[in-house]
Amino acid sequence: MRCWYFSEMAYHPAWEAGLARGTLRVVLPSSNFDPPTAHGLLHRYLDEFALCDDVGLDIMVNEHHSTATCMTISVPMALSIIARETKKARLLSLGSPIANRPDPVRVAEEMAWLDVLSGGRLEMGLVKGAPYEIQPANSNPATLMRRYWEAHDLIIKAMSTHDGPFNWEGEFFQYRSVNIWPKPVQKPTPPIWMTGMSVDTGKLAAERGHVVGTLLSGGTAKPMYDAYRARARELGWEAGPDRMAYAAVVGVGATREEGLRRADQIADYVRTAPVVAEPFTNPPGYNSIGANVAIMKAGPRAHRIVKDRQGNPIDHRKATVQQFMDTDTVFAGTPDDVFGQIRDFSARMGGVGHLLFFGQGGFLDHKDTAENIRLFGREVAPRLKELEAAAPAAPGVAAAE
Amino acid sequence: MTRTIAVAGISLELEELGSGRPLLFLHPGEGLQPRRPWLDLLARRYRVIAPHHPGWGNSTLPRWFGSVDDLAYLYLDLADTLDLSNAALVGVDFGGWIAAEMAVRATPDFGCVVLADPLGIKVGGVMDRDIADMHAMPRDEYMRLAWADPVRGEIDYTQLPETELAAIARGREAFALFGWKPYMHNPRLKHWLHRIDVPALVLWGERDGIISSEYCQAWCGEIAGSRYATIADAGHFPHWEQPETFAETVSRFIDTH
Repeated sequence: MRCWYFSEMAYHPAWEAGLARGTLRVVLPSSNFDPPTAHGLLHRYLDEFALCDDVGLDIMVNEHHSTATCMTISVPMALSIIARETKKARLLSLGSPIANRPDPVRVAEEMAWLDVLSGGRLEMGLVKGAPYEIQPANSNPATLMRRYWEAHDLIIKAMSTHDGPFNWEGEFFQYRSVNIWPKPVQKPTPPIWMTGMSVDTGKLAAERGHVVGTLLSGGTAKPMYDAYRARARELGWEAGPDRMAYAAVVGVGATREEGLRRADQIADYVRTAPVVAEPFTNPPGYNSIGANVAIMKAGPRAHRIVKDRQGNPIDHRKATVQQFMDTDTVFAGTPDDVFGQIRDFSARMGGVGHLLFFGQGGFLDHKDTAENIRLFGREVAPRLKELEAAAPAAPGVAAAE
Repeated sequence: MTRTIAVAGISLELEELGSGRPLLFLHPGEGLQPRRPWLDLLARRYRVIAPHHPGWGNSTLPRWFGSVDDLAYLYLDLADTLDLSNAALVGVDFGGWIAAEMAVRATPDFGCVVLADPLGIKVGGVMDRDIADMHAMPRDEYMRLAWADPVRGEIDYTQLPETELAAIARGREAFALFGWKPYMHNPRLKHWLHRIDVPALVLWGERDGIISSEYCQAWCGEIAGSRYATIADAGHFPHWEQPETFAETVSRFIDTH
């Protein structure tokens, strides 16, 4: 198992104002943002990413917009700095929200440039984006996935074509001369990742051989992984753990109490992330017709919940760290505890090859964050890496092409 | 009576009732509701034809459809297919936008046009919002703005059958497809409204909080000879909220044009 540290570079000083207003996203005014405070936080967060290189962790960066939960508004901007400050870590962009970006060729250029800068250490997530990203981008939710797939195909074509310009006259994007410089180090492109929470995403990712990532709950992840493996088998190849990724909050401590305390603080991120003004949670077309029928049937007071392993519903906005551990949202405790929890989780999921280690989530201070990264990197990640060696090797991406 | 008809390769679901002068009713973004007293009232005097727009009801939405232009050409084709003559063209909200896009193109089949609380044009500056952002407010605020009395428009979705809920979800998705960006208008439409060469009536529900009376009057300013009228105790959907007054007002205009 590979382990990727990530942090959304939260602007937690505004969380209280956001909670009072009922939304941390989209409409929370930037009067709640203090640039000098953010200056200090951004440098601190980048230092924490750099530390990962020293302890043998890989690095993941994501982006969000108009929000106090995440200051990273551009994955390539953040990864450019991290690429310069690190030497060994692989760098995962998870990712570019390509259905919200107006210019896929620009995305291809940015990713190729990053791959060159990092010497071929880039992994490239092409993501749909969360529902509340629709409003800041003002992209049409009714055509979101059609735009996604056209951008996906165009980006891959742009990065893997080296014999001069090609023409693209699509439904959403038109270019008369696509000929990107630089071209990426990795051929044909850096490894491609997708994210999702549905069986359909699992199948679609399998058809392309991409890595598929998800988060929040093992209950949601398992059917998606199973769908991926089944679809790969239908297509004549065996999908190994290296195609499956899972994001979780991880708190490690010298004692179990310390690990739980760290996880509890990081988990504030999971508690605040769903606090979004209602109209932006389900733009028309973002979710399937079936999902919308279920939402209407459930009535106005229903809100997004996941179930724990016993089938009990958990409200992410109020959950305790123990409840989060029951839903596989959090792994916490001593290095031995955490290793055991992740090993068991992976076994329950049928083999997960990538752990996206959410190791900073707002109020966890620098000292604790650095110690969490060190303990995880030195005492948990190497043992998880050995797990992978015992797992069956996965075929190349080309198997599904 | 409900039937489906093939027009331009699209399977359109039509509600047809009454007899007399044809009246093509184009429904708002909210769709044709299961109960439609305004259609029954209009059907006492006219042959009412009310299609479910592609994507709403059981009408199919072809993948290549993407703008209100497509709807305008589709309904001009429908008017030819049904051999309409001297028909009244009536549209509410989004339906008003479609009606205007039809009328600026060609009106040989139509004798007059009624635009009730229409969406579709831009009159203010870049930072002015002519049309409230219906997709950026909580449902109860939307109801408060769109209705004189929100209770009249309440729908208990938990009590509707799944087929009806699926149709509503599809309609919401289609409404976004056509109207998300630019938001509920065509930046060029205003400049073509002078082409409307049949008598036009612009209606405004006096409690409409989605668009203003000034906005509706701006439509009149662009359509030579058009008339402006209001409906009391109604919001953005006067046909739904005050069906009798709506039918009377529309009939009075149609019968004299």
